Formats: sequence, C-alpha cells, structure tokens
Amino acid sequence: QIINCLESAELAGVRSEIISVPQQLTSLQLWEEIVKRHPTLAAIQDQVVFAIRQEYVILGDQLLVLQSGDEVAIIPPISGG
Amino acid sequence: MNENEDEPKDFIKLNYEKLSTDEVSELVISPCCGAVSLFIGTTRNNFEGKKVIHLEYEAYSPMAEAEIKKICRDVRQKWPSVKHIAVHHRLGLVPVTEASVIVAVSSPHRVASLEAVQYCINTLKATVPIWKKEIYEEAYSWKENKECFWADVEK
Repeated sequence: QIINCLESAELAGVRSEIISVPQQLTSLQLWEEIVKRHPTLAAIQDQVVFAIRQEYVILGDQLLVLQSGDEVAIIPPISGG
Repeated sequence: MNENEDEPKDFIKLNYEKLSTDEVSELVISPCCGAVSLFIGTTRNNFEGKKVIHLEYEAYSPMAEAEIKKICRDVRQKWPSVKHIAVHHRLGLVPVTEASVIVAVSSPHRVASLEAVQYCINTLKATVPIWKKEIYEEAYSWKENKECFWADVEK
C-alpha cells in the first residue's frame, strides 16, 4: 500500500513522502518501516504518536489495515493554545 | 424569527489573521443566554529566564479542526445547556501580548459556560495537533505541553 507520510520535518529533513508498506501491519511495524528510510527519526520514538487517517494511533501492537493513499502523520508532542 | 438562527453552533477557525475578542464574543451571544465566558491565550515575553521575541504556530490543520470539533461535541455532552462555542486559533507569527487562541462559550446561566471554557482550553492543549515554537533573542525552541496525552514531557 502506498501511504503519504507527514514527518517531523526538522529531524527527518523531509516534509512528506510517499512510501509503500504491507497492507496489514502493527503500528510499531509501520514505525520501523519509516525509521528504515529515515534513521534519524529513531531518536524521537518515545515522544511521537501517529495520526492515521487523522485519528491518533499509539506506536504498539495495534493492527492497522491500510488503503492506498492513506495519510499517516508523525505527531511530536503538541503545544497549542 | 427564524428558529434556525438560534440552533447551537460551533465556530472553529484556524488561520493567520490577528484574533478579535469582539468578533469571537459576538459569534456566541444569544438571546436565550445570560452568560458568555471567554478565555484568551496571549504570548508571554519570557520562558525560564529567556526573553521571548514571538511565537510561531503550526498546525496539522484538517485534523486540528476535527479534534476541536470533537471537543465541542464532548462539551455539549457534559454541559447540555451550552448554546454556542467558538474556538479561534491563530497560526504563524504571534508577537508578545497578542492573542494566539480565544475560546468563547455561551449558556443560559454562568456555571456551564465557565466550566466549558476551562474544559475546552485544557483539552485543546492535550489533544489538538498544533505546535508552537518560541523564538528567543539568540535561539528557538519547539514547545511541549505537559497536558500532551502521549508524551512524558516532565521526564
């Protein structure tokens, strides 16, 4: 499946990219796929969550079923307000 | 009088314009409400002894609006008498003393609107994907709310 990743721009050096991953995988496995492509992101593993189709998903055992074109965002700790 | 005019409404705005307290209060005022409560978040000029020049805000906008919409839905479940809710958050550069966020809630009596405003801003800081960068005289820092529900910010 091809998904669109919005990345922690300063750390990874890219704003977003399209990657191909298995359709079903855990959220932790998805993280590992992304870190393979951008090893500097490993440093922030404890601080981030995903937003998959704009819903929060914690890095862990949750099984994801992804569709082509799904947007995955890496969300560092927020500071709105 | 058109009854649709006074249906409960949520007014959510994320953009780069200077915020207006008048505009936000006028959105929530309603003839059936005796209370309008407001929270204004403004840029502070210092952090841990460093002088802050201004803040810069970024958002994951479609999701930020969706999360604010969820907060409004939760507010209406917890405080059913709440009439209108407005949340305006400014993005981009916000100079010291200017507002970065305004939350306004109207209700017939004051307890609901006061409590709902507090809940709104607290939950916004915990769940809405917006980030602020503090710009100091010689450096900058991406901030982390201690309310952020997934990060152990106080480690």
